[in-house]
Amino acid sequence: MTKKDVKKIECEEAIRMLLEYLDNELDEHNHDSVEDHLHACRACYTRMEFESRLKNVVKEKAQEKAPIDLRNRIKKISEQF
Amino acid sequence: MMHLTMEQMNDNSAVSPTLNREHFVKQIEAHLDQLYGSALRLTRNSSDAEDLVADTVTKAWICIDSLQDLDRFKPWLLRIMTNHFISERRKASNRAIHESYVEESESDDEPFSLFERLHQPFLLWWSNPEQEFLNQLLKEDIETALNDLAEQFRVVVILADMEGLSYQEISEVLDLPVGTVRSRLSRGRSALQKALWQHAQEPKNSPSGE
Repeated sequence: MTKKDVKKIECEEAIRMLLEYLDNELDEHNHDSVEDHLHACRACYTRMEFESRLKNVVKEKAQEKAPIDLRNRIKKISEQF
Repeated sequence: MMHLTMEQMNDNSAVSPTLNREHFVKQIEAHLDQLYGSALRLTRNSSDAEDLVADTVTKAWICIDSLQDLDRFKPWLLRIMTNHFISERRKASNRAIHESYVEESESDDEPFSLFERLHQPFLLWWSNPEQEFLNQLLKEDIETALNDLAEQFRVVVILADMEGLSYQEISEVLDLPVGTVRSRLSRGRSALQKALWQHAQEPKNSPSGE
């Protein structure tokens, strides 16, 4: 898609699509429109950065280590396969 | 918890087209932390989470032939785990899981944005509130906020934000239209942000009471 094909969007529309943009779930057309807007709008870019960091923090802090008892239990189960 | 006979266990002695026993066990070991993490967020209880993981591994071995593509091992495993979780919850509550959910139209889910709360002129003048907020988030804050989500939203948020599944993959795992996944994820994240915000307003040194 060339630059001139990218549809211009306003902040409201960019923000509405922001999380799907970060999830890589927009079609190419909308993805490019949001990206184009983010390059031109500092406020929306700041918001995108915040949402992206928050997503990473949630992912990172929600992780767990499997307890050793569970590892042993799974090992025992697997021996029966 | 599942109880399988040795016959059921050994029934699957045939090697899968994609994975033999040794590779299966290695894959399980590699995914065990993630599997347990998601199980803990789903069940909100470590003992139930361990049972859920153990049942999932057994079930996965029994239906190993349904794994067509090794690259899809993780979503395949999560599908087994999530379906097992939902079916056990149905049995426990003796009614369909969908009925136990808060009705979508009734839930208190006005879109909520942490960014908008934090990005206010008087706060900006004072410091960098967004970064401060993120820096102060603790594991416990995230756990509490996730645990407080209604189940229909929690499941979708876990699959998307912890496991990194695509909307299409989540739709397959939960047997829901992609549009429903999209909507639940949006509302789930909004509720998560609201819970994080509310939790941040509480005095930090007060006992949790749990």
